[in-house]
Amino acid sequence: MSVDEGRVVVRLDGVRKEYGDTMALDGVSLQIRAGEAVAVMGPSGCGKSTLLNMIAGLDRPSAGDVVVHDEDLSRLTETGLALFRRKRIGMIFQFFNLLDDLPALENVALAAQLTGVSAGQARRRALELLDELGIADRRNAYPAVLSGGERQRVAVARALMNRPALLLADEPTGALDSHAGEQVMDLLLDLNQIGQTLLLVTHDERLAERCANRVVSVADGRIVGERSLERTL
Amino acid sequence: MSAVWRAARAAVRRRKLQTVVIGIVVLFSAATLVVALRLLVASTAPFEQVFNDQAGAHVVAVYEPGAAGPTTAPPGAVAVAGPFEQVVLPAPTDTGMIYLPDSLTVVGRADPAGPVDRVEVWDGRWATAPGEVVIADLPPAAGYHPPSQVGTVMHLRDGTALTVVGFGYSVSRTADAWVAPAQMAQLHPTAVEVLYRLRGEPAAPTVDAFTAALPSSGLLATSSYLVIKEAVAAGPGAYVPFLIVFGILGLLVAVLVVANVVSGAVVSGYRHIGVLKALGFTPVQVVAVYLTMVSVPAVVGAVLGSVAGEYAARPLLSNAFQGLGFHGDVGNGLGVQVTAAAGILVVVLLAALLPALRARRLPAAEAISAGSAPRSGRGLRAQRWLSGARLPRSVSLGLGLPFARPARTALTVAAVVLGVTTVTFSGGLATTVARYSSIADRNETAPIAVRALNPEFQQGTTTRSDEDIERLLRSLPGTRHVTAVLDKEVAVVGQARAIRVVFLRGDRDEVGFKEALVEGRWLRGAGEVVVPSALLHERGIHIGDRLTLELDGHRTEVTVVGETMSASIGDPGLLTAWETLQRLDPQEPIANHDVMFQIAVTPGTGIPAYLASVRAADPGLNAWDNAGVNTFTVSMISLSTTLSLMLGVVAALSVLNTVLLNVRERRRDLGMLKSIGMTPRQVVVMTVTSMAGLGLLGGLVGVPVGVLAHRFVVPLATSAAKVDVPRALLDVWQPGMLLLLAVTGAVIAVLGALVPARAAARLTIAEVLRTE
Ligand SMILES: Nc1ncnc2c1ncn2[C@@H]1O[C@H](COP(=O)(O)OP(=O)(O)O)[C@@H](O)[C@H]1O
Ligand SMILES: [Mg+2]
Repeated sequence: MSVDEGRVVVRLDGVRKEYGDTMALDGVSLQIRAGEAVAVMGPSGCGKSTLLNMIAGLDRPSAGDVVVHDEDLSRLTETGLALFRRKRIGMIFQFFNLLDDLPALENVALAAQLTGVSAGQARRRALELLDELGIADRRNAYPAVLSGGERQRVAVARALMNRPALLLADEPTGALDSHAGEQVMDLLLDLNQIGQTLLLVTHDERLAERCANRVVSVADGRIVGERSLERTL
Repeated sequence: MSAVWRAARAAVRRRKLQTVVIGIVVLFSAATLVVALRLLVASTAPFEQVFNDQAGAHVVAVYEPGAAGPTTAPPGAVAVAGPFEQVVLPAPTDTGMIYLPDSLTVVGRADPAGPVDRVEVWDGRWATAPGEVVIADLPPAAGYHPPSQVGTVMHLRDGTALTVVGFGYSVSRTADAWVAPAQMAQLHPTAVEVLYRLRGEPAAPTVDAFTAALPSSGLLATSSYLVIKEAVAAGPGAYVPFLIVFGILGLLVAVLVVANVVSGAVVSGYRHIGVLKALGFTPVQVVAVYLTMVSVPAVVGAVLGSVAGEYAARPLLSNAFQGLGFHGDVGNGLGVQVTAAAGILVVVLLAALLPALRARRLPAAEAISAGSAPRSGRGLRAQRWLSGARLPRSVSLGLGLPFARPARTALTVAAVVLGVTTVTFSGGLATTVARYSSIADRNETAPIAVRALNPEFQQGTTTRSDEDIERLLRSLPGTRHVTAVLDKEVAVVGQARAIRVVFLRGDRDEVGFKEALVEGRWLRGAGEVVVPSALLHERGIHIGDRLTLELDGHRTEVTVVGETMSASIGDPGLLTAWETLQRLDPQEPIANHDVMFQIAVTPGTGIPAYLASVRAADPGLNAWDNAGVNTFTVSMISLSTTLSLMLGVVAALSVLNTVLLNVRERRRDLGMLKSIGMTPRQVVVMTVTSMAGLGLLGGLVGVPVGVLAHRFVVPLATSAAKVDVPRALLDVWQPGMLLLLAVTGAVIAVLGALVPARAAARLTIAEVLRTE
């Protein structure tokens, strides 16, 4: 278990986000502590992705504060946000978002290379991660020939490259068949159990129950409920 | 159709930037095309055009007054003008700034228009009453506005005062001055001239046959338009090949860039095409949507561009024409404008149609997935090698981008190559033209000419001998070098016709003759000659040959030691030292007005002040400025600059477009890269690098191509003018300059990439990732 277990990693305070007339987030306050696995659930269009984007600094709130790892994101410039994401945040998307022109290993190594780590060092760490995720043998394959599950595991490896304080996953199983989905779920669960703080957006009840120890329900841009879970391992 | 229109409108709205780029690229291309076509049209037959515009005289016949010839219309003539009375008079010397030849052919004509030789009165008006005169001269080039000389009063030998009421230009060169017929009687005409216009563009045999058939009674002389045409072709007409090359380059660049930009726009829309199909659009409707989408900005751009091109072309053309030795109405070019606009639109439609037809066959599902489904990587080996290279990752990613889209990359490189080629070529050409004209005129080294007035035609002549004049000139403040120049027709033993020989005294090494040397060496002393290339070819003379000159029964031998580009004003002549004349015939009489002095002044000496000081020192000396403004050099330089700039802009726009498309296509990748911590700076670096590499490549290819084109075209032009030129005209390149030019490609690319790169850096990641 991590040393700073229990420390607040994410603090949202009255966060609102409007897109024109659409109120995507309408006064959301939320805290996530280190080591937690939080699932955000709700119908499509209720603001889950927007919430995640606020935490990752991919977009700025119309009002309210977002503090992640003691960093007030509103004070950061675009470059500051990029450096912040590099150091603190790992992201996984529904559609993997791998670079098609690079093989699996290079896709993973890329995350470290952006910070200036040498190609050799980045590849060594990437290979370790692919190995841990059980796809080391696919390291030279291009995304086009990987299965959905494999691609998502490459994406997870990339997200973990810089040892992020917070792993954000936006419907990570949404584009996978049930078997591949299971595997990714297991992977996230394992990560959380070795101390990785996790924020998971899903509308898959099973995924939430399996991986999260807290579920936050969102509707129309507001948090409408919260419950703790005993994980059904 | 309304569904098509609505879909196209929506597509245009969603792609504002791209629509703007298409519009601007088409605009610039159409403008370039207009300039290029106008140049091509104008330079195919510049003489013929001006000649036909003025209904030029193919044959001018001069008869004795009262001869019967003029009254009969000879067969073969389609138009006849005249008889006009004429007289040759010594030129007045009190004309101030108006330059006149020593003897003036004055013609009495009631009207500048008529069936033949329509004189263009470009300043003032025609002479309608006694006491008025119109002077023949070229109008000033566009952009020059010298003060009008209309109103100048001049006096003929007999005291007759004539007021200059206008200036006229006749390409047929039928007079030096025109007066009203009523004035003519007072001037005692000695002949009448009749102007004949034949059918079409008669060749020499036709002209000769026509001339031979003229009634011979009272016929004094005839002249053919072919002589004037020849002079133009061998003189400034030499520049025509340069103009043609510019025209062709402009054409190529315009077409290539438009094809690149438009087809790129359609290819990048494949995904959108899939969506349209899924919505139930028929394949034909899909094609229609795409054609409509690119046609809207293309039509706007083509129309505005061809109008703008016309405005750019006009001053350039009128300058170029002026330099070609005549002035013509450059016309409104409406036909060219319409052709250019239509031509560009055809290119646009073809460029859009080909990929759109391919898209039509694409199954909807495949087209939809074109954006999101992983492509099988392309250029993978390059990518892999780059990812391990010791470069910042943003740089190596950028360098890898072009490999993913080889076809577009090739088009972009081609656009840059053409841009750099053009800049290189036109820069070199401008240098060559400037050097050519300064060598040919020697106007930079020795801009001032002085000659004693001729007592046969002029009053107030000087009694100084030519040697005294030289001493006087040397004593004037500001004089740097003086060379005395004397021409004589000299027989050459073994040659059928006499040759003009130019004897040089004084600072003959310093007044620009040396720079014009093509081969061999310059004169070292008596007994040596340097031969102009035209004469060399015409008379079969070679360097090293020994020639025997003969004058009034005296003979001397000379050795040909060098070949020169051009000798001096007038027919080409052998150049030799003054001492050769003394060897040939020490007793040969020399009149002071036979000798011309070419003078170089010290830096900082004002030419008008110097000219005034010469006239003040001896009013019997005529001094004038030979340099003037060489409008043709100026116009060639401004032409090359304008065209290089236009083509540079077009090339930069096409690069801009490529980057835009790449960025659009890579939006999701960029969003992802930013989400894993790529900073805005790294995004800019990556995007700019992706293009800078191509730009550099384009530059490295474009520079040698430009240099080769220059190497090829300049000799072509000079051989058309029947002269050999000094190496210095071809060796206009310095290594540093070439390097700079090679970098231009990268600079164009980086500038083109910067805007979309900054836009990419500012992309809101959340939004980009959401759209997929
Ligand atoms: N960039 C955007 N521009 C405009 N509207 C947006 C944008 N992002 C999200 N929205 C709107 O905000 C609301 C919440 O979106 P989102 O957070 O993506 O929902 P969820 O992830 O829960 O499906 C939706 O109505 C969506 O249309
Ligand atoms: Mg979502």
